[in-house]
This record gives sequence, C-alpha cells and structure tokens, in this order.
Amino acid sequence: MNVFYDHFERHAHGEGLKGHSTHYCAGCGHGIVHRDLADTIGELGIQDRTVLISPVGCSVFAYYYFDVGNSQAAHGRAPAVALGHKLANPEAVVISYQGDGDLASIGLAETISIAQMGLPITVIFINNAVYGMTGGQMAPTTLLGQKTVTSPQGRQPAMGKPLRMAELIAQLDGPVYVERVALFEARQRVKAKKAIQKALRLQMEGRGYAFVEILSECPTHLKMSPEATEEWVRTQMEPVFPLGVKKDLAVEPWFDRHAPSFSPEAVLGLSGAEPATVRTAARHRLAPRLGTKDLSLKLAGAGGDGAQIAALLLTRAAIDEGFDSTHIPSYGPESRGGTSYADVHIAEEEVLNPAAPDPHVLIAFNAPSLAKFAPAVREGGLIIYDRTMITEPPAFPPNRRVLAVPCTQLAVDLGRPVAKNVVALGALQAATDLLPAAGLLSTMRHVFKDKSSLISLNEAAFAAGQQVVDPESE
Amino acid sequence: MPSVTTNSRPKPFLDPAYCKGCLRCVEACPKGCISPGTRINPATGLVPVEINLEICNGCGLCISACPEPFGLRTSPATPGAELEREFQIKDPSKLFGRKVVDLHESPGLPDEEIELPACEPLVLKGTYAAAIGALLAGCRHVFGYPITPSTEGAELMAKILPHLDGAFVQAVSEVAAVNMMYGAGGAGVPSMTFTSSPGFSLMLEGISYMIGAEIPGVFVNIMRGGPGLGNIGPEQADIKLACRGLGHGNTHALVLAPSTPQEMLDLTMEAFALSFRYRNPVVILGDGYLGQMTGQVKLPTHLRKPGRPAWAVWGDRSHRQNLICSIHLAEPDLEEHNRRLNAKYAEIASREQRSDLYRCEDAEVLVIACNTPARMAKGAVEAARRQGIKAGLLRPISLWPFPGDALAEAIRHVRQIIMVEASPGQLENELRLTLSHAGIVPPPIAAVRHFGGVLPQESEILAKISEFREALA
Ligand code: SF4
Ligand code: SF4
Ligand code: SF4
Repeated sequence: MNVFYDHFERHAHGEGLKGHSTHYCAGCGHGIVHRDLADTIGELGIQDRTVLISPVGCSVFAYYYFDVGNSQAAHGRAPAVALGHKLANPEAVVISYQGDGDLASIGLAETISIAQMGLPITVIFINNAVYGMTGGQMAPTTLLGQKTVTSPQGRQPAMGKPLRMAELIAQLDGPVYVERVALFEARQRVKAKKAIQKALRLQMEGRGYAFVEILSECPTHLKMSPEATEEWVRTQMEPVFPLGVKKDLAVEPWFDRHAPSFSPEAVLGLSGAEPATVRTAARHRLAPRLGTKDLSLKLAGAGGDGAQIAALLLTRAAIDEGFDSTHIPSYGPESRGGTSYADVHIAEEEVLNPAAPDPHVLIAFNAPSLAKFAPAVREGGLIIYDRTMITEPPAFPPNRRVLAVPCTQLAVDLGRPVAKNVVALGALQAATDLLPAAGLLSTMRHVFKDKSSLISLNEAAFAAGQQVVDPESE
Repeated sequence: MPSVTTNSRPKPFLDPAYCKGCLRCVEACPKGCISPGTRINPATGLVPVEINLEICNGCGLCISACPEPFGLRTSPATPGAELEREFQIKDPSKLFGRKVVDLHESPGLPDEEIELPACEPLVLKGTYAAAIGALLAGCRHVFGYPITPSTEGAELMAKILPHLDGAFVQAVSEVAAVNMMYGAGGAGVPSMTFTSSPGFSLMLEGISYMIGAEIPGVFVNIMRGGPGLGNIGPEQADIKLACRGLGHGNTHALVLAPSTPQEMLDLTMEAFALSFRYRNPVVILGDGYLGQMTGQVKLPTHLRKPGRPAWAVWGDRSHRQNLICSIHLAEPDLEEHNRRLNAKYAEIASREQRSDLYRCEDAEVLVIACNTPARMAKGAVEAARRQGIKAGLLRPISLWPFPGDALAEAIRHVRQIIMVEASPGQLENELRLTLSHAGIVPPPIAAVRHFGGVLPQESEILAKISEFREALA
C-alpha cells in the first residue's frame, strides 16, 4: 500500500499522462525514494499525520504525488519549515525531503542548527552529486574531477572537496540516527527502505531527529544511461561517501509536548497583571508648585547610578495615581558604563511628547550629566544634583531652582550607597510635592515586594531625601 | 499485456503508458523476464520495456527498482485491492480511477474569545507590550534572532512561553526564523517574530514566500538607524521596505505604526486577527524609542484562543488535502494567482485604512507623522495652537494602506503640509503616491527630517509650523 494520489491533479492539472507519471527524468533515483517513502508512510499508518516539506531542486514538486499534508519551502529552508510544523503540531510526522544543493549548500545553516536541536523530524537527503533542476551545476557533493557545467574542467580541491553530510550530521549531538544508503542495486534499495522506515519510526515514537542520506542517480546530468549511472554511483560515489549507519543511539521516547494554554489566569499572571482595585481617593493635582499639566523630567548619571530605576518608579507611581506617564531610557553603548539618562513625562491628561529635551526637572548624579543637561532645564525649572559626587558644580542658568543634595552620602550613612536614587526621589518629592508621598512609597513597596529587605531601607532613604530639602540647601 | 497467472506471490503489472523505459527494472530482474522494448509507445513517445512473466517468481525486485509510482506495481490503486494477495489482470482504464475520497466535514475550527477579569493597567515598555499583545491574541509560537533594539520582546516571550506550553525558538538566523514562521503559520497557528532593520532585510525573502503561499504571521520590526549596520538609534527608514519592498514579486502586507506602548499591545493583537483574516503577513513598524518607551498599558476585555483554519496543513485527516505552496508553474495560473492577490490588496486598501486625527477640523497647517515622531508633532501642534496657529496632526496608523480617505478629508482647508519623519521622506513618498493615485493635487509640502538615530524634536517642528504663520495670516 502506498500513499500516492490516485491522480496527480497538481501535475499540469493532471492532464493526460501527467495525471499518472512523475516529472522526473527516466531512471531518476528520486522516483525510487518516493516509492519507498510512500510505501513506508502507508505501512506505518501515518498518512493522515504526515506533513511533507518539498524543497527547491528536482524534488520541488514532491507535493504533486504524496497524498499527505504538503508544504513547499524556499531553497534550503525546508528544515526550518519542518520545525515550524513540528512545533505547531507535535503529533504531525514531519518529513523534510531535500537534495544536495538545497540541504548541503544554501541551507547548510538550517540543516546543521536544526539537526543539533534534535527535535524529532525526519530528513531525507538525496545526494546525486550534481544540481539537477538548474541544469547540472556543481553541487557541494560533486566529486573531485567530476565535470559539471560550472566545473567544466572537473572539480578542483580549491572549489571545495565533496561535503560528507552524513558524517557531518552524525558528529552533532542532536541526531539520534544517521545512515547513508544507496539505490544502485536491489540489496541497497532494501536497506534504503529500512532506513527510511526506521527514521520515521524514531519520529513517531518521539525519540528524536533522524537523517537518511541516499546516494541517488541523476542520469540526465551525468549524461549516462540509468544503468551506467548506477554503476557510477557504486564505483565512484560510494568510495567517497561510504554507506552505512553513522550514528544510532538508543534513546527513550522523550518528545512530549502539551497543547498550549490559553488560560486567562495564566496569561495575566505571567504578564504581571493584577486585579483591578477600586479607587476612592480624589486625584492629586499634578505638581502644583511647577504649574504644568505635562511635566517632563530628566534623570541622568553613570551606568550604576540608578537613574533608570528611579525613573521607572516615578512612571509607575504616576500611573498608579491615575496620570499618564512615560519613561524613555537611553540605551545601547551609552548604557554600558557611560552616561545613562532617562526622560520621564507625567501628564494630567495625555503625554503628548515623551522626550524631554528641555525638562522641567533635572536630577543629575554625576558631573558630566549635570554639565550636559543643566543648561537645557527650562526657565522656572528645578535642578537636583548629588552634592557628594559633584563637588564643583557648573554655573547654572538664572531662574532655575537648584538643590544640592548629598544623595550618595545619605545613602552611605544608611549602609546602602545604591539607594542614592531613592534619596533623590525623596528630595524631589519634598521640593515639588509632585505625587502624593504615600503613593510613591506604596509603589516602591510594590516594586520591591520580592526583596522585602530593601523596603524599609528605601523608605529610610526616601525620608532622608525629603528631610534634607530645606532652604539652606539651595 | 502480461499474461494472466495465478500464483502465491503477486507478479508485476505494467501499463506501458507509465513506463519511461529507463530499464532499471531490466537489470533488477534476476530471471531476465524484462527486456528493453523495441516499439515506441505512440502515447508517450517513449519505449516501454517488454515483460514476459512465464518464469517470473514474483520476487518483486523489479518493482522496487522502478521509479514511477504508476510504473511496475503489484496491485491496483483501488482501495481494498491492496489487501488482495492474488494477482489479477484488470482493465487498466478502471485501475487508476479516482480514489473514493473521504469527505471531511468542515475542517475549520473557529477562534474563541475568552473573557479577561478586570485588571490594573500594566506599566510596560513598547517591546513588552507587543509581546503581551501577541500572547493575548493567542500566539504561542515565536521565532527570532537576537538584534537590538527589539530583542527584549523575544526575551520576554522566551521567559513566558514555556509556562504556556508554547515555543520560543532562537533560530540560527533571521532567514531560518522567518521560515519557521512559514512552517508554523502554514500549520495554521499564529506565529511572530521580533526583529530590527537589518534582521528585517534578511526576512524579506521569506515574507515574499509567505505572501505567495498566503501564510499569516506577524513581524514586529523595531526600526533602527541605517543603512548597513548603522546604529541602534531610532529611525523610520524601513517604511519603504515595509510598504514597497517586501521581497521579490507582487507583494504587499498591512503595515501598522503604533505610537504608544498601549498601541504596541493593541495593534499587535489586532495584527494577528488581520493576518488570519487576509491570510497574509502583517508588519508592525515601531521605532527604537517606542520599543524602549515605558508607559501605561490597559488590557483588553478578552483574549483569543485561536481555532484552526480549514486551509491549514496541520497534519491530520481533515487537513490532509491541503497544500502550502507559492509555486504556480503555468503562466496563466500564476497570473490568476496574482489577480487574486491584487483583489486581496485592494480589499485591504479599502477596508483597513487607519489613522488618528488631532485638531484637524479647521487646520490650515497639517502635520503628518507616525510612530514616536507623531508624539513630538502632537506636542508641537498643541504649542502652535496656543500661539493661535490653526495646526492639526494626521497620524497614519496604517502606513500601507496609507489612510488616503482620511487625508483627502483632512486637507480640505489645509494650506501647508509638514511631513515629520526620521527618514529621508519615505513617509512623504507614501503620501505623495496616495494623493497622486487619487488625483488630488496637494498643498505645498514641507518637511522636518532626521536620520541616523536622531528624532525630530518638538521645538523644531514648532519652528517649522511657525514659518508659515505669516504666509497663512
Ligand atoms: S535532472 Fe537528475 S535529479 Fe533531476 S529529475 Fe532528472 S535525473 Fe532526476
Ligand atoms: S517479480 Fe522478480 S522475477 Fe518477476 S519480473 Fe519482477 S524481478 Fe523478475
Ligand atoms: S523501471 Fe519502471 S519506468 Fe523504468 S523501464 Fe522499468 S517499468 Fe519502465
């Protein structure tokens, strides 16, 4: 029993003889492998579950013939497509059927990486030492000295020696079974079919990835009769591509994937969503002392100064408070040791422009960022800087309120220097009444809920920052 | 015709019409039953072999040597006949008749909308918001290759998906990633990738195949500075690629341009629905700023449990007849396929235009911008209004199709258009093409453009608007 269509509808609309014959040249090995594969699928009873990936190459039209689920892939990408199918439906038996140009040349990266992943798919590799479909060009498996239209003088070592895929795949850790077989005589054909059968079984049983390389005949481009081609494969190819089992691991079935979950609870939990709470408190007015409905802040310092965390705390607290808020970090090379700055907006209605080129408030943790951004602070704005780290502040533009806060010193006094960013937030709060202090603190407690030891420390840092803001510090 | 015999082992049967005369069976037969033919078969122009089964022992070696499915066979293809161990000659014209096809009732399975309990808004960066949007849209298959500044979306998926029995695969390259989407999408499951400009370039080949084979899938491209490796700053210079250059051939895909983390979630979720509705990829274009921008994100009321499309190559009985393929060998077939695609593109173009209008009712200066620059532009429009200039903002949310209908409506009183973009006029080109196709002569168009990771700022947009204050007064 085999699983060929009874009528090859897809072959030139199944008209005339094409309805029952292949597009392959007379004597082509592909046809024999097709028959073995079709028989095996039938014998194993997996016709309904089978998804066959047709490659680009002479077997590009494998889907004309096999009455199974079919997908036709781009050149070299069949294993990637196969992997997509296998992960979408682990019950499917997925076969990637590829020739030498497809598998061993343009698709080498996919071939090797997906073999190494070792998921149970079956790769059938037809090696006939030449490009068929495009007209007899040199393949990665072309023999030394073999003439092709792109190696007219015969393949030279500098064009690359023939690539032995079965050996290459076998030395990867992913595959469980790799064998090279041939079609040139009855005995070999029996072995070829057995290998195909075994490879499919390993997939059905969830044991792993299997690779069957089949030395095949391309009489057309070898310009020989089919019989002479068989002889050529036996005498010329076989010595270069030795037949036999290259790898055969005894592996217990392991591939067992569940259907994905769509449980709302699971999705929400993993997204960090929390049940809605009922708000009763009236909304705080935004930054009454700064007189704006859309407040922009810039927090800047060196990489480890915690500017981003402080910015995120502000954004989150503002959103918890019912405002719209955004945070944009500087990132990339700048964030690796250099200046790290964050633009924050808090708006009563909607943040229009999330960038802060001329902020209302600047919090600077080191001298370069203070020098860089202080001139940009808009008139009537506020500049808070870490007095511990910046001992010689630059001249400030007029009409800016400047607070020199010993952020690092206060944090060191508390035994945790990195809390300087929270000290700065305390100072910001005292100077602007930006958000309700209770709100900020509860957001902070929430953010640090997995590190409860940090909560009281950060509360103390916040309070220290609040207390230090008095007229003398200005 | 072979002679009629009855034997314990089946003997080969050959309809000469399906023999290509390759002679592989000749040397396979140990008994010498098969010999090269001498007469050309007029139906095929080939010379079939001649078989004499008198001393045939039914070893079957010839059959396993024959490359043709309907060449040498033991048994006809009629169902049930495979079980017959006794070989009989049958009328060939009846042998290869149509198989009795199992009729499968509606292999499609509809999506389910599952209600979500009310939740506090999340505070998320853009890439994370897109990831959560995809999860809510039922995407459980994510394929990607690390590239800044989009990777964080993939990282979040890598963290979450195993807990939902989904799959995140870090592919060997973007080329492999898009082809894994081709596979998973071809199996009918929602799949996506996060990428950034250079990676998106690498995926274009695969996107062309997906469009050709009509496979859904969502591409989140967080655009960065180019050309080449460029830098990782925010840019919008992939608009041309997404709107006009999705690989080779006649391709188009819906291109959506969010401007807030909220839209990153909403539009990604919608992208999956659109992608399946039209069986076509959908591209989300963000900029590097938006990917990193943290903001408030409200969750929808429902999440989607995807069904299974009738066309999917799933790997079960009811989907067995399906084929995912971008080949149409005969020219008339491929022309017909292109006509169908064009009809689909036309439908998308008329039904899926999306835009956001801000203070456009009486606008004389119309600013047009998308993604993050649209937010700078919104600030500038607001500031211009405070100065008494009648400015408005049209923010295209779909870049392909460009929201031509809204544009035609919005420019009725407009005397000056200002294009604001982090690209060398790629958005402007979309606008000009749209107007030109609609036969509309636009008012003068000025531009604020930046490149290389620099975004247009509110102050310079405002300055540009102000340039026209006197002309408009
Ligand atoms: S060109 Fe070679 S490989 Fe291709 S169908 Fe013909 S014989 Fe087979
Ligand atoms: S079945 Fe065996 S003996 Fe009979 S024709 Fe075929 S190869 Fe020869
Ligand atoms: S192997 Fe098949 S196709 Fe080739 S000559 Fe024999 S019957 Fe004909």
